[in-house]
Formats: sequence, structure tokens, C-alpha cells
Amino acid sequence: MDDLTKEFIAESQEGLDRMERCLTELETRPGDGEQLVGEIFRAVHTIKGTTGFLGFERLEKLAHAGEHLLGALREGKLAVTSDLISGLLRLMDGLRAILTLIEATGSEGTRAGDDDTALIEELAALNVASPVVAAVAGTAASAVGQKPTGAAVAPVTMSGNAAALSDKTLRIDVEVLNRMMNLVGELVLTRNQMLQSGVEATNFPELARRLDSVTADLRETVMQARMQPVGNLFGKFPRMVRDLAQTCGREVRIEFSGQETGLDKSLLEAIKDPLTHAVRNAVDHGIEAPAVRVMAGKPSEGCLRLRAFHQSGSVVIELADDGAGIAIERVLAKAVERGLVTPEQAEGMTEREALQLIFLPGFSTAAAVTTVSGRGVGMDVVRANVEKVGGSVELESKVGVGTTLRLRVPLTLAIVPALVVRSGGQSFALPQSALVELVYVPKRDEEKAIERMAASELYRLRERLLPVVWLDRLLGLETRDGEDRHGFYMAVLEAEGCRYGLVVDDLLAPEEIVVKPLSAVLKEIGLFSGATVLGSGMLALILDVAATAARAGVKPVEEVIEEAEVVDHTAAAEVSLLVFEDRARERTALPLDVVERIESVSLTQIEYAGGRPLLQYRGELLTLRDDGRVLEELEVAQGRGAEVSATVLICGGAGKEMQRMGMVVRRVLDVSGGTLLERDAASGEMELALVKEKLTMVHREFSVKAAPAWKEVA
Amino acid sequence: MKILERDAVSEILNEDDAVSLCSMFAGSESYGIDTRKIREVLGYRDLQRVPMAPAFIGGVVPYRGEVLTTVDFRALLGMGEYTGVNCVLVLEDEVGEERFGLVVDAVGGVVMVNRNMLEANPCTLEPRAKWLFDGAYKMPTGLMVQLDPQRLRPSRLAEAGLFKCRSNGEQA
Repeated sequence: MDDLTKEFIAESQEGLDRMERCLTELETRPGDGEQLVGEIFRAVHTIKGTTGFLGFERLEKLAHAGEHLLGALREGKLAVTSDLISGLLRLMDGLRAILTLIEATGSEGTRAGDDDTALIEELAALNVASPVVAAVAGTAASAVGQKPTGAAVAPVTMSGNAAALSDKTLRIDVEVLNRMMNLVGELVLTRNQMLQSGVEATNFPELARRLDSVTADLRETVMQARMQPVGNLFGKFPRMVRDLAQTCGREVRIEFSGQETGLDKSLLEAIKDPLTHAVRNAVDHGIEAPAVRVMAGKPSEGCLRLRAFHQSGSVVIELADDGAGIAIERVLAKAVERGLVTPEQAEGMTEREALQLIFLPGFSTAAAVTTVSGRGVGMDVVRANVEKVGGSVELESKVGVGTTLRLRVPLTLAIVPALVVRSGGQSFALPQSALVELVYVPKRDEEKAIERMAASELYRLRERLLPVVWLDRLLGLETRDGEDRHGFYMAVLEAEGCRYGLVVDDLLAPEEIVVKPLSAVLKEIGLFSGATVLGSGMLALILDVAATAARAGVKPVEEVIEEAEVVDHTAAAEVSLLVFEDRARERTALPLDVVERIESVSLTQIEYAGGRPLLQYRGELLTLRDDGRVLEELEVAQGRGAEVSATVLICGGAGKEMQRMGMVVRRVLDVSGGTLLERDAASGEMELALVKEKLTMVHREFSVKAAPAWKEVA
Repeated sequence: MKILERDAVSEILNEDDAVSLCSMFAGSESYGIDTRKIREVLGYRDLQRVPMAPAFIGGVVPYRGEVLTTVDFRALLGMGEYTGVNCVLVLEDEVGEERFGLVVDAVGGVVMVNRNMLEANPCTLEPRAKWLFDGAYKMPTGLMVQLDPQRLRPSRLAEAGLFKCRSNGEQA
């Protein structure tokens, strides 16, 4: 295929995308049709003009028929009817199909199946049959209109193929390209200077600094060039929703916001399928039939809202419907029926945990298998795809009110924060997004720390059993000899619902790594998602956390079973407490299982709203509790010009019904087991405990909310 | 049709048939690869091993902003690990889609040979070697085996199945 044809295809696809948007808009707002029709006419006209010139006769003929109809529409001879829109949409599909064929084979197809006469006739019929007075449109038009409803699902798959060429090409602002060129020029200049002056030269540090800034600028510019507005992705949905709504007998309106939010092109591609799937789900299962909606006191037309926005270093894409919501009982019943959980487990599950079941493979709540969904591929695929690019999926649902699905993806794929670890003499990078916490096991505790059940090893992390995977053994690396070991580190990782402890020899620095793809042969191993060059110049392989879990046999369901066990354990009177100091000289403690992490936060990061201190933490807004007025003291210290950071305990836990919060403390003292004493009536929300023979206050109110099992003790 | 001449000098002068090969060594034997297929000779590189990879993968090295997969030529021939300083070459297939490295013991220099002097593989060659080798040139110093870079491509080697066996997996 020559360049001219390639360009023509890319351009025409863009034109058709525009036409698609305009058509759906035209149907909802026939009032301002003039401009929209003009736009559609131009798209078809351009295709017709260029095809004639390139010699694609079939395409030209079809485009000509369409142009004729659109011409009549533009001159106001025709009225906008649903049949007309359907006809034009089919024209668009026809054009798109031919373009796809040209792209794939280089010719527009001359076989018997590639005949457009029916479509051309239909367009001609529309031209005659729907005059300005729409009422006359009677028999002829509706006869034409009814015929193709069965085929309405097909275009969805077709538009998937059509994107093939545009996936590989990208339109860049010339301005950005010029800037890139300038920066490359500067890069070359700096290199020349460096070569001439040599390492010994006095201005070498300055040159190194320049090189650094030029590289940073260049990186930023390239990133910018890769950014695409999310609207490009959203643009495909109105048509899809319209077709789906017709096949499923629903009335659905789709609303957008934040289309201009930029996202890396490769990420945009990566979330295309999951999002399409989710939209399909929302129309088919989410939004009820019009009659049902009216009965429930809602407007007959359902509403689907797609929102994109930035939130602390990631882009959130939110899909909300005002449909039936997800009935927890049905989810649990289905999960039990499919054997994903036992009835006893289902009993004890919180709403949040139950919703997570939807993401398990082989789960679908659709009562019947329809043409649209319920074919066994479900939300697990959505989650797997999003997690593959380092994102996460959240689901919220209220029965009768609607469901909200949130896809959270990083701004860019290319650079990810990671922790570099060493195992068996090699370096590996673990993506921070999967890292939950780190545990150090010193040599003297090694024997006791790992417990065994048959061949599998487990670690008791705050009374939860965690499957342990030895990275060096899993990869068949040399294990270190007993002599020089100082103990080991365990990285607690979580991906696709699996949580496990990965044992490594050593932790190196956390680094922002640039992800490089691996060759096909190495990808096939399935354990590494890429490689990266470390600051030291060495290469490190990036571990695919989910695949490693799968290889080691860690299953997502195990997590649920463990949780059920944990409830029994925590009922014991002796509890692990994190002891810290918040008020002067007073020892205070929190049950260890409500503390997720201890963070050292720079004072400047703490913000205030309505007099309350707040902290932006991993995309969440945490309320800070400051009982000991530590912040005030720190402010004073900062006033004196010192660099101050506050110690914040991040409290609240996964799978627990509670908002996370932060607690500002003066310093953390110890972790140890303690015995709870009688409740101290005077102190209200606090109670006393004996920790290492010393009296300690325990936040009671907090513990009750966080761990249900606590009630028995308190 | 040109008549084969016995004189080595005129053979090389005959431009149509002259091929420039880059000579390299693995073990006691010498091998040659068409210089046009070689992108760069990197010299010694510290290879980062890839656990669980097929035995013929020597490891990965950073190369011009990419991660280059290398093929360990000694492993391909079933020879033990080289203790000396290795040498990495960067090869590229014709369409330029797949770039990969080849790890050999040492690289010699460029040798001009006459295409017509190539002797076919002997029928007694073991299957692996038969698959890898592309005939040999009779050089004054001994035979120089010609290698086809196309066949050394990691993906091709993986497909071939002849080299599947994983080395003891414990090399580090």
C-alpha cells in the first residue's frame, strides 16, 4: 500500500469518527442540525472526492449515494428521523468496512459478497420516502428501517477492527515536534561540548547539569506528545450505547465530562476494551427496562455518565449508571452456586467484600445469556487488563440507585515507581503499585517466622496467614549460604486479589524506573513484565507480580478463607499493639491490625480545610487526628527554619468497613503484645492495657469500629 | 558465467562474488558472519542473566535505550561456560524488526572470501550443528564456519525446538 492510500485511510477513519459523533448528536438534538449535517456531509464528500482520485470505484459509488442523500438533508428537503439516522449509520458502517478491507488487502474487494447495491437502494429509498412532512414517512420508510435491527450488534465489533491503522499512527502538534527537535539539537550540542572538554575540565559539572535538564525537558515533551485526550475514546460510545439500547430495549442517554483529560496513548489503548466491556455491562445489566424504571419512580430514560479526571498522579475514569444497582444477596448466591465461596463464608462477608466477588474469574450475574453480555468473560477480564498497566478498579453500588465503576490508571506507562530488590545475586524491580508493606525477619527469628502446612509455607502477619513465596527458589536461582545471611526481607504484594509475601535477600533503593519491553522469547517466560536500566547502569528485570503469584500457586480465593480464620484468632485476649507517644510522656497504643503503614510526611504536605488537618495520601484524602497537638509543635519548629516532618500512622484496613484516617504522633515506640485491662470509665473512648508491664492507653472507639472481633474483648 | 579461478587474489577482486565476513571464535573453532548483518560489535558486556529463560539465552544487556536479548553461542553448541572475557555482537535481521546480541569468546577481524568457495555442510554433521551452520570456508588457518544470523534469532531458535533443553538452571 502506498503512502497516499495509507494517509487516505487514516484521514477517512477520522472523518467517519467525526460523522459518528455528529450522527448520534443529531438524533438527540435535531434542532441544531444544520451545522451537524454540514459536518457529516463534508466527511462523506471528502471520502468521495479522494476515492475518485485514487480509483476505488466501489467506495466512490457508495459515498456518492450517501452524499446525495446528505445533500437533500442539508438543503432541508428531508426531515431527521430515526430511520434516516439508522440508514446513515449503516452507510458509515459500509464505508468503514470497505476502508478496513482496503487496509487489510490493498483492494476494495470485488467478490459477490462485497456488493453495496442493497445499501445504495436503501439510501435512495430514504431520499424519496421521508419528505419534510415526517408523518408521511409511513410504510416505505419503516419497512426499510425494520429490516436491519438484527444486524445492529455487528458494527460494534467492526469499529474495533477499524481502529487498527489509527492505533499505529499519531497526530502530533507541529509545535511539540519543533520543541522536540530543538531539544535534540541542544542534546547534541551538549554532547559535543562534553566530548571536547573531557571529564577533567572545570566546567564538566555544569555540562552534566545541562545534560540533565535537557534530558528532563526532552522526556517531558515526548510524554506530552504521547498524551491523547480521553475524548477520543469516549467518542465511540454514543453509537455503541445507541445500538445496544435498541437491541436490549432500553432507553439510555450518555453524558460525558472531562473529555480533554490527557492520557498516554498506549494506556488509552489498554483501557479501551475494559471500558467498552463495562459500558456494555452497564446498558445490559445496569439500566432497567423503561417500564421497570417508571415503576420504581425513575425517568424511563436511564443515564450513563462517563467522567475522566486527574487525581494525584493518576487518571480516574468513572462510569456511573442510575440503574438497578447490584443486589448483594444475588451476588453471594451466585458465588456460592459457582463454588467460589462456601455458604459459611458468604454469611460473614461485608458488602464491600461481596462486591469484590464480581471480579473473580467465571462470575457473571446476568440471569440470561444475551447477545450482548453474559458470555463468561466478565469483570475479571476488566480488572486483569487494567491491573496489567498498573491501574486498579473499584466498584460501588447501591440497590435501586445505581452502580459506579472506577478505573484508576497511571498517567503514563513508561515510568513507574518501583522498589529494587536483590535475590540470588540478581536485581529485580517490584512495582510500587503492588507493594503493600515490607517485613524484615532477622536471622535469629528466621526459624520461627515461617510456619509450614505440608509443603506450603506461611507467615503470620498480624495474625493473618500469608502464603510465602521464595523468589530465589521460584526462579531457580542460587540460594545464599547460611553463613553470611543476615536474615531476609519479605515484600507483601497484592495483585489481582492475591496477597502473598515474596521473600528476597535484600532491599535496594526505591527508584523511578523506565520500563523497557522484553523480546518475545523472554516475554514467553511469563514472569517478567519488562526490564529497566538502574541508576547504577545495571539491568534489572521487572517482576510481574500477578504472574508470579499464579506461578507459585497463590490463588485469589485463598484470601477470603484466611480472613474467615482471622476472625477467630483475634478474639484472643492478648493482642498486638503499636505503642507510640502522642501526648507528652503518655504511652498510647493502637491495635496493630488497624495500622496499615507508618509514614514520615513533610509538614508542607499537610493541608488544612475548615481548621482540620488533611493529608493527600495515594489518591485519598485522609483526615488527620492530632490528639497530642503535635502539629502545632512542629509548626513552631518549622518557623525556626528547620526541615520538619511529622510521623503519621495510616489507620484503617482493607476489607474493613471504615474510612482510612491518619494519626499524627510524636514518635513510635514499639510493637508488642499486651493484655487489656478493665475499661477506664473516666477516659471514655480510651481504655487501659498492660504492655510490657507498663500502663498504656488504647484507643477503644477506634478499635471497635475497625475490628468487629474486638467487641468481645471490650 | 565466470570460470572459477584458482588464484586467491583474483577471487577476491571479483566483486560480485566477494563477501566480507567478520570472524569470531568460540572454543577452538572460528566462525564467520556477513558483515552487512552486523550492526555493531560491543565488546565485553556484563550480561544480566534471565532466570527461567531457555538455555541458549545468554542474558540481557542495555543497548541504545533498549534491552537487548543475547544468544549465548557456546550454549547453542553445547559447550561449557566461557571463563574469559566475552564479546557481544549486535545483529539485526533483514527487516530490522528483531535486534539481538550474540555472545562469543572473541571477535577477530574482517575477512574477504569468495562466495563460490563455500563448502556445504557435511552429511555427518549432528542435527543441531546442521541447523546452525551454513557451510564452511577453507581458510589457510583452518575451516571457518559460516553462520546465518537469521537462524540465530532468539525467536527462531525457540521455535526450532532443537535447543529447548534448559541448562541446569543454576548458572549465575
